[in-house]
Amino acid sequence: MKTPAGALVLLWLSGWGLPLQADVVPAPDLDLAQYRGHVVVVDFWASWCTPCRRSIPWLNRMHAKYRDDGLVIIGVNVDRSRQDAERFLRELPIEFRIVYDSDGELATQYRVEGMPSSYVFDRNGELAARHLGFQNAKRSEYEALFESLLK
Amino acid sequence: MRMPLLILLSVTALTGCSSLGVQPWEREVLARDDMQFDGAAVEAALDDHIYFSKEASSGGRGFGGGGCGCN
Amino acid sequence: MTNRDTRIGSAIAAATCSLLGATIPSRTSAEEAGRWDIETALLYYAEGDDRVQDASAVIAAKRDFEDERYLDLGLTVDTLTGASPSGAIASGVAQTFTSPSGNAVYTTPAGEIPLDDTFLDTRVALNVGWTQPLARLYTITAGVDFSTEYDYTHAGVNVGITRDFNLRNTTLSAAVAYSQDDIDPVGGAPIGLAPMLDVGDSSNKRGKDSKDVLDLLVGIVQVIDRSTLLRVNYSYSDSSGYLTDPYKILSVVDPVTGDTVARMPAPGADGPTGLYRYESRPDSRRKQSLFAEMRRDFSGSVLGLSYRFATDDWSIDSHTLEARLRWPLGEWSYIEPHVRYYTQSAAEFYRHSLVDGEPLPEFASADARLADLEGVTVGLKYGQTTASGNAWSARVELYQQSGSVPGGQIIGNQTGRELFPDLDAVIVQVSYRFGL
Repeated sequence: MKTPAGALVLLWLSGWGLPLQADVVPAPDLDLAQYRGHVVVVDFWASWCTPCRRSIPWLNRMHAKYRDDGLVIIGVNVDRSRQDAERFLRELPIEFRIVYDSDGELATQYRVEGMPSSYVFDRNGELAARHLGFQNAKRSEYEALFESLLK
Repeated sequence: MRMPLLILLSVTALTGCSSLGVQPWEREVLARDDMQFDGAAVEAALDDHIYFSKEASSGGRGFGGGGCGCN
Repeated sequence: MTNRDTRIGSAIAAATCSLLGATIPSRTSAEEAGRWDIETALLYYAEGDDRVQDASAVIAAKRDFEDERYLDLGLTVDTLTGASPSGAIASGVAQTFTSPSGNAVYTTPAGEIPLDDTFLDTRVALNVGWTQPLARLYTITAGVDFSTEYDYTHAGVNVGITRDFNLRNTTLSAAVAYSQDDIDPVGGAPIGLAPMLDVGDSSNKRGKDSKDVLDLLVGIVQVIDRSTLLRVNYSYSDSSGYLTDPYKILSVVDPVTGDTVARMPAPGADGPTGLYRYESRPDSRRKQSLFAEMRRDFSGSVLGLSYRFATDDWSIDSHTLEARLRWPLGEWSYIEPHVRYYTQSAAEFYRHSLVDGEPLPEFASADARLADLEGVTVGLKYGQTTASGNAWSARVELYQQSGSVPGGQIIGNQTGRELFPDLDAVIVQVSYRFGL
């Protein structure tokens, strides 16, 4: 990513990493200030979203592996009906924190553009990366990002 | 003459489309199996074959779109 | 990944046409890479009056290769038996015809529309398709399909691409399919408008022939609101080559009485007792269609409405209207009533009969499927999903088709007779879908 043109081409090609937005404002409901000093992942998921189903076992593993190093994962559920989310969790339990956002307020504030979406904040509370969608092929890339931020 | 007119009407009707739609997290209904256009693909193919052998027109249904909009 | 099907696949049951866009969609529940999603179906179709009967078996399998890459496979086997109208008209006397093979004759009683009952045909069709993302908002699909029966083989390829816009509220797609069919009719393809001859005389026949078809489709799917989807497709199809039905004939009639001109087979030979000619269609056909469908959820019930307008350079115009309502019964089952209405206008070369003494037209066919006709289908389906995500369903449908002959084509004694072979058919299908 040595030149702006190169960066743009790479972003278009990869499609899944997006330019950072300095004006993303975390909602008051989800106060990340308490996690200052930790690496925080805010992940938007829903019971009806198949790639979300795939990402959850992996997120559970990341949570188990890095929580002691300071990784905090927050799953924001955007199901309109709480029952759908609960049925999903009976089949596939989530080990990290869950926040319910059934009216989409948090999703709106974070300007979610696709499901799933995750936002990674560094130990200073700055947005380090934003991922749109979940690709199995990119798991090691996602994990490498966590490791570099947790150092 | 009718075909170009119909196409024009469809395109005009759909050009207001950029204002239509839902947010990415509002697709719970659209993600359901019974809301997919090709949700009964085997049945549709069998029907198409029957009507193809009994009538003079066939096909036109196509593919792609709707659903959960994920990834 | 998504529950939308962005693949084009030629339809599993397509034999002589490549249909774009019919493969199993992804499932919401329990979809993991490496699993097979399989759907099987058995269909029985039967027309009244000992006419056509068809039994079909389909297996469609889909495998998810991770990150929105899919393989689709389909196999269909069907067996067709029974009789179908040959295009000849009813007469006041019994009629004898030479069968398509040229080796035998068959007879139709007086007053009945002649049916050619020498059909017994098994068809096997196979299709394979691959879908994958090209970039975040793009998906490509490619596939091949193949089918064979005793007098016909078909091979086709298709490719397509889709692109999403407006946060995936709008999807544009385009697809192309090309196919080549080889036709080797029993007894040989008849020379267009040649007369039907005695058993053993094949001077009116030639050998095999072929046709190719190019199909183009462009479509748009638009999310209207949380509960409503709309799609509109435009398609264009160009067929060229042998488009005639080698087994269909026309009766040659007296210009005043409208009765079929009588004929004597050669001494000691078997053959037709009337003057009949084999049909002949143009060697090119260009079709266009515009299709629109809306699907709307009403708190768990889903209403689907569609309309298709089709037109071609044979002057056939058609309208198709369809409605389906999926009505859940509790959490695990549903019923789904269905109605379909179809109407078409006749091909410009459709003729009820040929008039003796008049110059032969360049093209003519008395095939009822090219006439002015209307078809109505009414059906009901019942389905259940099991807790593990497997599903089965059964449906029964009734299809009635009736047609008419333009007044100007009805001559003399034809007025009192049955002119169009109206059709009454029942369709029964059971399906089972499961994961492996």
